[in-house]
Amino acid sequence: MTMIFELLTQMFKRPATNQFPARHAPKSVHGLVATVQAGKAKLNPPVPVPEDFRGKIFYNRETCIGCKLCINVCPAHAIEFLPENKKVRIFAAQCIQCGQCNDVCPKNCLSMSKEFAMADTNKMSANLIVEK
Amino acid sequence: MNGMDILMAVIGSVLVMLFGIFFGLVFKGIDRVLSARMQARIGPRVRQPFWDVGKLFSKENIIPENAVKWMFSSAPVLGLASSAVMLLYLPLGPLAPVLQGHGDIILMLYLLVIPSLAMVTGGFASGSPYAAVGAQREMVMMMSYEFPLAAVVVSIAWKLNVFGIANPFSITSIASNPIWMNSGILGIIGSAILLVVLIIVTPAELSKIPFDAPEAETEIVGGLLAEYSGRNLGIFYLADAVKTIVMGALLVAIFFPWGIAGIVGLAAGSVGAIAADIAFFLLKLFLVLFVSVTVIRTSFARLKIDQIVYTYWAPLTIAALFGLVLIIWDLNLLGIEWYPQVLGGW
Amino acid sequence: MSGGAEYSVPVGPIHAALEEPVLFNFKVDGERVVDVEVVPGQNHRGVEWMGMQRNPVQVIYLAEKICGICTVCHAYSFVRAVEHISGIESTPRADYIRAILAELERMHSHLLWAGIAAHEIGFDSLLHYTWKVRENEMDLREMITGNRVHYDMFMIGGVRRDIKQDQIPKILETLKYYKDNFEKLGKLFLQDKVIKMRTQGVGVLTKEDALKLCAVGPTARASGVPKDVRQDQPFGAYLDIPVKAITPDALTGEVHGDVYDRIIVRLLEVKQSIEIIEECLKRMPEGPILAEPNITRLLIQLKKAHGEGIGRHEAPRGEVYHYVRMDASDKVTAWKVRAPTYANVMPWVPMLKGQQIADIPIVAASTDPCMSCTDRAVVVKEGQKPYMISGEELHKMSVEKTRRMMA
Repeated sequence: MTMIFELLTQMFKRPATNQFPARHAPKSVHGLVATVQAGKAKLNPPVPVPEDFRGKIFYNRETCIGCKLCINVCPAHAIEFLPENKKVRIFAAQCIQCGQCNDVCPKNCLSMSKEFAMADTNKMSANLIVEK
Repeated sequence: MNGMDILMAVIGSVLVMLFGIFFGLVFKGIDRVLSARMQARIGPRVRQPFWDVGKLFSKENIIPENAVKWMFSSAPVLGLASSAVMLLYLPLGPLAPVLQGHGDIILMLYLLVIPSLAMVTGGFASGSPYAAVGAQREMVMMMSYEFPLAAVVVSIAWKLNVFGIANPFSITSIASNPIWMNSGILGIIGSAILLVVLIIVTPAELSKIPFDAPEAETEIVGGLLAEYSGRNLGIFYLADAVKTIVMGALLVAIFFPWGIAGIVGLAAGSVGAIAADIAFFLLKLFLVLFVSVTVIRTSFARLKIDQIVYTYWAPLTIAALFGLVLIIWDLNLLGIEWYPQVLGGW
Repeated sequence: MSGGAEYSVPVGPIHAALEEPVLFNFKVDGERVVDVEVVPGQNHRGVEWMGMQRNPVQVIYLAEKICGICTVCHAYSFVRAVEHISGIESTPRADYIRAILAELERMHSHLLWAGIAAHEIGFDSLLHYTWKVRENEMDLREMITGNRVHYDMFMIGGVRRDIKQDQIPKILETLKYYKDNFEKLGKLFLQDKVIKMRTQGVGVLTKEDALKLCAVGPTARASGVPKDVRQDQPFGAYLDIPVKAITPDALTGEVHGDVYDRIIVRLLEVKQSIEIIEECLKRMPEGPILAEPNITRLLIQLKKAHGEGIGRHEAPRGEVYHYVRMDASDKVTAWKVRAPTYANVMPWVPMLKGQQIADIPIVAASTDPCMSCTDRAVVVKEGQKPYMISGEELHKMSVEKTRRMMA
């Protein structure tokens, strides 16, 4: 019986669900994006993430010295060495966002951003390859 | 019947069937939204069941290799047809039943079994162990909830008979002489017990939690419907929607048959009065279904089949018989001066 | 509902009642289960082999990915095994942070389980309710570790992130939320009439069977076996904060060993975890969080490590056991994981025999099985004939492999 009362009170409260950008699936995603860009519709903002959230990796190419330490500790083999200019390339689709490379980097040129919405249909798309 | 009557009956049947399907799906949508809200979720849109049906009808209709094909494919149609036929015997608010005078509540009891039987046939015909288990469970469940249901019906008809009303089993007489009337306090309590019993029988008729053992998706992956897909599943879905309306309309016809037009002062028979009554009927229908389907299915866990049998045979049958006894006492006491009649009428 | 001919009902490898692939072959008479055969091995992923291609620091993250729910316990066990080999000791503050993480994980795992158990008996409202309650704790862990599921907090010789002073009020606030809601959760789970009907006297595992079949974790404790790694062989912060294994008689005074008792044990453990975390926060010493903060130097040190080590930890589901062998190379030579579900597979048989079909999901779920952790061997098909490796053969093969490795 406790449950019935609990549920009936929940019925009149705000749902606990984190909302999708749009409340219901749009007819066309591109159409939705167009209307949002035109300022005609608003998307629900993403859930806030805390300080020190580990999102998509960020790479500062300028300070990188090509020491390959990050490649040595990366558990997912997501980092590739570019011998011609002694820099690295990170495949975000393969990265597990552990941040171990951030810890090991002597020049602190790697860090984790707060960006987490990285879904893509192509794992080799420009958005998912971090080079600079 | 002459030709005109038959034509009117056919047109009426088609309209009533469309009514049943449409509002059945609307209720399913409302049910899903409210149940989601009760669980602190957002839930789908109210029109989601219509999309679901559309999608099911556009999907491939797979018939398993070891199924009995004609039985497997005819079961859903039988289910939908029998559900729709029941609506023809029920008053829908101000609208008299299409087949008025041709059947009574006993016929209704028999017809209520047919959609379940159709599902059992389909389940046995699909040649899957899950469906066979589901079909067995459905048969056991059918046997268990019949008795309390019959007890409710008999109590009502008995009371009508005592007051000398012609055709006590006819749904129209039951609807025009609500059970609450002409009774003292015991009679009202008795009627309330019968109402509760019928509300608890409803989820079993509709295979909803806590009485959805035949379809339990975590145990036997959909049971009876395990092998159904595409159009066949869509038809079963529609049959379920229509049967939901049937159960709701039955509850409304027996326990809440009043209209609103007279109260708000609309002239009887006018278009406004009929419209108001239909709207009020739908409101009553959805409220009754909200309690007997949505609230119950959201706030209980699934019972095992032996527990279902026990629930219906012991507590509910006793409750229904107790309600009957109360009504009998009530009528016997009514003549005595210290026992006032609380509700008059008829 | 019996008397008919026996027939077989397969449950799995893919089935709505199962969260992960495992196969049960049931012999059923009407609604009653006559016999059951459990066929694991549907989900082998070769994680250990992958580990042997990597250095110990890389393997920590791989160990975390063995299971999404027991992330902490696999990482903790592996790290302890490597610390055992290399002699690196974790710092006292890291021990406390590890314990806090482990207990947070236990709370979340038990709440997650409770929701799934409710779903198995068709009580979706309770599933949504418990998971809603669990969400606060997910946010807490996201704040402490930077991620909701894979925390990546463990490092050989400590932890990677400190619990900052300004995070403590938030942690206490969340713990208070759970303490306030605990009574209500207990009421919803333990006093509900239908849940009682579905769980009491169902899936009974006697104390004898639990001991004989080596059940671990809440499954064993619910049968009255007070078995808990944190109690029996305390380590880290549990040396300072004694843990007592919870058996259902703590609440009811009786031990039945049924599903209901397993719910009791898990709910009480949530409360126990809250207390442990509070205690940890009170006693947490200041100091460094890593024995060797420089990962490069740590790797060089590990490269010299030689020998074999074991790491144990009480996961939410029972004892996790990691065996690691390192041979002074940059890779891990051998790595063997024994997850708690592995020990809890066999108790399924006595639990399920004689039950109804309807009980299968809740009984199977009551041990909180985690197949992704468990599946360590594959059923091999040689030609067309299914071929299963027997115990003797496995032993022979192990001996051969050890010889090869020694050579």
